[in-house]
Amino acid sequence: MVKKQRGETSSSLKMEKVSDNFNLMLESSDDEAPEEVTFEDSKAQALKSMKLALDTARRDKALLKEKRKKRQELFQEQKKRKLLPAAVLEEIASKKQKPSEDEAEDEQQEEGGEETKKTKKKSGKLANARNLKGKYTVQTVKHGASEASQRQTAEDFLQSRLYGAGSCRTTSNELLSLENKKGRNKSAAVTFVNKDWACREKAKAEKLKKRWIHKQQIPC
Amino acid sequence: MAEFKVHRVRFFDYMPTAIRAMAFNHRTERLAVARADGALEIFNFADNYFQEKVIPGQDGRAAEALCWLGQRLFSAGLNGEITEYDLENLRPRYTVEAYGGPIWSISSNSQGTLLAVGCEDGTVKIFEILEDRIQFQRNLDRQKGRIISLCWHPSGTLIAAGMMDMIKIFDAESGRATHRLLVERGVGASKSREVVVWSIVFLSDHTIISGDSAGKVQVWDGLTGTLVRTHLVTKWDVLALSSSQDESSVVAGTSEGTVVQFQFLSSNVGPQDKEWVRTRTFKNHSHDVRALAHTDTAVVSGGMDTQLVVRPLLDKVEKNTQESAMRKIAFPHRSLVCCAKKAGLLLFQFPDHLELWRLGESNGHGSPGDSLPVKRKPEKLIQLKRKGEDHISCSAVSPCGGWLAYSTVSSFRLYRLQNNTISVTKVSRLPKDLRSAQQLCFSSDSTKLFASSCRSSVLVVDLNQSDCKYLHTLRPKSGSSQPVHLLCVSEDGKWLATANTDCLIHVFNLDKLKLHCTVPVYSSCPTAIAIHPTNSNLVVVHADQQIFEYSLVQKEYTEWSRKLQKRGLHPLWMERDTPITHIAFNPKNPAHIILHDTFMFCIIDQNLPLPEAKTPLYNQMTLRSLPESERIMHSHAFKICKHFQHLLCVRLLEDHSLVVVERPLLDIQSQLPAPVRQKKFAT
Repeated sequence: MVKKQRGETSSSLKMEKVSDNFNLMLESSDDEAPEEVTFEDSKAQALKSMKLALDTARRDKALLKEKRKKRQELFQEQKKRKLLPAAVLEEIASKKQKPSEDEAEDEQQEEGGEETKKTKKKSGKLANARNLKGKYTVQTVKHGASEASQRQTAEDFLQSRLYGAGSCRTTSNELLSLENKKGRNKSAAVTFVNKDWACREKAKAEKLKKRWIHKQQIPC
Repeated sequence: MAEFKVHRVRFFDYMPTAIRAMAFNHRTERLAVARADGALEIFNFADNYFQEKVIPGQDGRAAEALCWLGQRLFSAGLNGEITEYDLENLRPRYTVEAYGGPIWSISSNSQGTLLAVGCEDGTVKIFEILEDRIQFQRNLDRQKGRIISLCWHPSGTLIAAGMMDMIKIFDAESGRATHRLLVERGVGASKSREVVVWSIVFLSDHTIISGDSAGKVQVWDGLTGTLVRTHLVTKWDVLALSSSQDESSVVAGTSEGTVVQFQFLSSNVGPQDKEWVRTRTFKNHSHDVRALAHTDTAVVSGGMDTQLVVRPLLDKVEKNTQESAMRKIAFPHRSLVCCAKKAGLLLFQFPDHLELWRLGESNGHGSPGDSLPVKRKPEKLIQLKRKGEDHISCSAVSPCGGWLAYSTVSSFRLYRLQNNTISVTKVSRLPKDLRSAQQLCFSSDSTKLFASSCRSSVLVVDLNQSDCKYLHTLRPKSGSSQPVHLLCVSEDGKWLATANTDCLIHVFNLDKLKLHCTVPVYSSCPTAIAIHPTNSNLVVVHADQQIFEYSLVQKEYTEWSRKLQKRGLHPLWMERDTPITHIAFNPKNPAHIILHDTFMFCIIDQNLPLPEAKTPLYNQMTLRSLPESERIMHSHAFKICKHFQHLLCVRLLEDHSLVVVERPLLDIQSQLPAPVRQKKFAT
């Protein structure tokens, strides 16, 4: 251990030396000759870098493995959570032993025809879902994800074209106030004329007014 | 005029939605209007622009484009479906998925055999029109980028399609694109933005006219694919175009709210070389004009400000007549408010919910014109959200306030209300036949519910303490397939009158559950009907403002009605441009008939002489200034009050107070989306 540590320290020292050398090299002016680096040194350095690269690769692999393992565990746990309790599962397994009877029943139902279909519909199943043989159901997907997204992009396009940046829009209040301003009987902006309008703004204005009056009074 | 205590109601936040698309049927003179919430309205232009039919909308189904094909109406929208409507049962007949993403435009060829739709994914899809449905035929060559606008050439061999930055002309036979017309982008900052060809018109001389987002209306030669003329109309977008049937005039609607007319006129040099010249500009909208229709005599426009404007072209109509007056249709021509007379409740109908309010109370006494102090404020008792995707088509509350019913196109619901404790319980067991209704009405003693359904039939349902029972279906003999749009029951519960859009009025005897009589058919559609509580006279007001009184006992028009017809109504009465939407009677004075439209309410006193054509109709103010003795000389039967504006409803309560539901247009305007910013001089 001690030896190893020593080795390490020495190597790190070496590294420092090398980097020092490098720095020196950089700092040295052009007319100075490049400092000699022995073959041994460079070999050791190369070996070290290779070792480092291998180490990192190994570590990465280990990490990835661990990650996968964790995920697998998570999945399994989720599956377990989804599964019914053990007692129920057992019951199902025991029932599965008489499949022939079930099938016969199914057939009978199919023979029953429309009546059974009606009862099925009444039992609260979706209108667009349909029972096939066995436990599979086929269901038409009414609003596909892509359909919805396409629609969204179309609506966004319309919105951005009519009301987006560069469309030069104003507010209804401003438009209506302009009429008040330009009309024969001049009056204030609609927000102030109409009592029901902009209650919040009015409350704020009232507050500000009170504060202003208060401020005026203090210096006096 | 009698004195009333008036409940002035301003808490109905009725908000119409923007007009998205329009289509005019030149043969039947019907205009179809699609709104942003998916509702569809049919206006009869041959009958005073009366709103005949309303098809309620549905969540997620908003029509982006409309198209008439003979009597059939098709719409397409951003949900990617083509819908045909059943105009007799006021519901969508079927929908067909186009499988091309959102649909931007729809257009039929002039032969009426094919339907083309322009899709988001860049395809133009051709559908074949069959007797009872439509069937996909083929795709034209798929393009890069969405197809925003479409127009068939009248010959049916070519289709012009407006896209981003360009217009393509397709050969409808082969499906190949034959020409590509590049549309110039706007100048300045919008240079980097693609230009959108919002609307396109293909004329029979192969001229293509396009309106785009750079504010240009451009005239192209479709044979050579060259640009003929550019008219810069606005700094914003040109959103809609429409051409007249004779192709001599084209109108363009802009984001500014202006409508610009272009006409094909010969220039000064020679009569041969005609040109498209910009002629007139109309500014009737505060917001974007999204939809346009060019009728033979007028320009119809609609847009974000929710109003439908009919602007007659003065070179096509006679000047200074009623025909040349501009019309603005802001409110629906049917009532969205139902009033429980005895309980003092108001039911407001919104597309997606109902609101039940209790009126306020006041015990003060004041002189006429005073506003009384409110003892108890009006309060909202119930807000009922509808179930399912379909919007509410009709609703009613019983006069006692104990029942509430509403219907959509797919379902019907009835609720029992307890007003003291404010509780709502749904009546779960409904008669099987009561699946949906077009109109609803309760009898005055709240023991019967009348619901009109298909083929002008009316279901009679008996209401008990907690459940309901099917009694009878009343069917008219005429076999008219049109829907009932008015339903009214007499105060004593003996008569039921229905009116449908075929202008037929049927009266049923509820004691015998049989058809009693059919009122002689008048050419104009009835807009309001009511039965007098004491003498059982049926009062009918039509879309052309005529008033008739029909005696149900004698089965003939009454003396007063004949006198009125002989004398003729006052010209100012005939000039009003909104229909009468409700008739009521004053139990204190049986000679009084109370009517209202959007701008006034009127009390007709049948005992007083009818006004001459020369006497002033609106004489309430002058009467007030006269001394008592002279008043009788000057007063006439029509007493009109314009004090309350933009009326949605006027009702008389049991305690002889008047309920007036107002919705000022300014309040609606203040809630509209942002208009464009325009520089006005000296502001």
